[in-house]
Amino acid sequence: MFTTSLFPQSSPSKVNEYLSDDLSLTFGLLREHPKVYWIWNHRRWCLENIPDGPSEEDIDGWRNATWKKELFVVEKMLEADARNFHAWNYRRYILATMTSPPPPKSELAYTTRKIESNFSNFSAWHQRSKVLLTLWESGELDRAKSIEEDFELVRNAMYTDPDDQSVWIYHAWLIGEGNDVPRLQFEITSIQELLDEQPDSKWCMESLVRYKRLLVTKHAATVGNEAVRSLVDGCLELLEKLRAIDPPRRRRYEEIAEGIKSSR
Amino acid sequence: MSASQLLIPLHVQYIKSLGENKDDLVYHLTAHLRMNAVYWGLTALCAMGHKDALDRDEMIEYVMSCWDEEAGGFGAHPDHDPHLLPTLSAIQILTIHDSQDKLNIPKVTKFILSLQQPSGVFAGDQWGEIDTRFLYSAVNALSLIGQLHLLDVEKTVGYIKKCKNFDGGFGAVAGAESHAAQVWVCTAALAILDRLDVIDQDTLAWWLAERQLPNGGFNGRPQKLEDVCYSYWVLSSLSILRKLSWIDSEKLIPFVLSAQDTENGGIADRPGDLADVFHTVFGIVGLSLLGYPGLVDIDPVYCMPADLVASKGLRKDWEALPRRNS
Repeated sequence: MFTTSLFPQSSPSKVNEYLSDDLSLTFGLLREHPKVYWIWNHRRWCLENIPDGPSEEDIDGWRNATWKKELFVVEKMLEADARNFHAWNYRRYILATMTSPPPPKSELAYTTRKIESNFSNFSAWHQRSKVLLTLWESGELDRAKSIEEDFELVRNAMYTDPDDQSVWIYHAWLIGEGNDVPRLQFEITSIQELLDEQPDSKWCMESLVRYKRLLVTKHAATVGNEAVRSLVDGCLELLEKLRAIDPPRRRRYEEIAEGIKSSR
Repeated sequence: MSASQLLIPLHVQYIKSLGENKDDLVYHLTAHLRMNAVYWGLTALCAMGHKDALDRDEMIEYVMSCWDEEAGGFGAHPDHDPHLLPTLSAIQILTIHDSQDKLNIPKVTKFILSLQQPSGVFAGDQWGEIDTRFLYSAVNALSLIGQLHLLDVEKTVGYIKKCKNFDGGFGAVAGAESHAAQVWVCTAALAILDRLDVIDQDTLAWWLAERQLPNGGFNGRPQKLEDVCYSYWVLSSLSILRKLSWIDSEKLIPFVLSAQDTENGGIADRPGDLADVFHTVFGIVGLSLLGYPGLVDIDPVYCMPADLVASKGLRKDWEALPRRNS
């Protein structure tokens, strides 16, 4: 209706007004139905149709003002439900299409705040992984140094709730292919300390197996034969325990153990 | 009736009743999903071995009444704008009923291909909403009608790669968080395109196996609630990766069965909620992948009867659990 009947007859400032009104109206709907695809899509459509203005000197003025408002809206939505993926997708869309977006480091700080207020917010960990990749690629952050800092953040989360898989999946990503031997050894020691405190922690055991295997498969020559033997024995012992405490996934642990035995 | 087994006759009855209550408000509220719902109902019936419980000719007539000759696609309901989701459903229904001769294949192929964006993803329709679900719909549909050779595979796979996340999973668009349903559409699309090498299979299968919760049900993302439909998204993906043994089917089966409506038939998202055809089909085809007795094999790549897919020469290297006798 807007495109066919209203827009062609309206001045740019009227169009801007219609669209702003529509965004305010659909904000009410959004609070009631935060997971309805079309409401979110309609907001995108409104944004994309904001006209140039208010003046030739400031053609992005209306757009900047509206985009800023939308960033505020999406933050409100994420305060109400920190895992709403529509809101997160919309947030990424806003940040990617703003004419003058906030610096990526401020998005990193946003994920830090979200994570620190709830370590189980996997959506925020996910967003963090994306922002970090951007910052590393652009050179705005030094990869090694920022990974170092993230290991600290993750360590706090691990100690707060060792059963929270969000943190451990993120930790596995920070370790990556495991090319850094001292880092692997340091993390193994530190997770072992946590396991000593929490002897039934599935995620401590899972991660220890993962990182010990990386040492064995990628760094056998560096760590030496004796260490490899003890790492392998350690893995098999942990996998045996995992089988017992996490029976739904026992076949996975068995397969990993079989793989280790056959390559011994 | 007890919910300790799958109530096949009751669910068949439930699906038959869905098309009959056209005065029902829900019928009108769900018009935008009608074609999908017909496909879901038919697939559930196929999985239960009751393909003929809904009238074949009437269904084909309905499907063809949603065809938009000008655009070359199918709408969700007569006079609705054409969209990729109902277009795939229509093609699946016609394929199941051996009626692809009703299709104007060059035209529908053109419609599907016209929705591919420069990034490689597909829009659902002319309004431009993009999602890996639409990409899968396009790949599946083109494959079923034998027109996959017209697709720019590198470009399509390129977009899926952009959706890959640190946990091995995939999201709805580039940058989006992994979600079990999006993992399935991306994994199944890659399987059709013979590009499973894109997937970090151990990491993804690990993430998928961790979707199972202590009550046996599956969630779609970490730290979220269980839902019957996620069992299908997770099971089908694991089946394509040949890792179905990494979850506990003995715990999942009772969870799905407990979400049955033992009075009126149908399956809900979780026990105690209202049943609908969406959760009914994905509950049943999930059970089929687990070898539940009395069900027909369903292909996890196309979500259609496995024999039919195989007869078209489209079977991929997936693995379900063996069918049990009782």
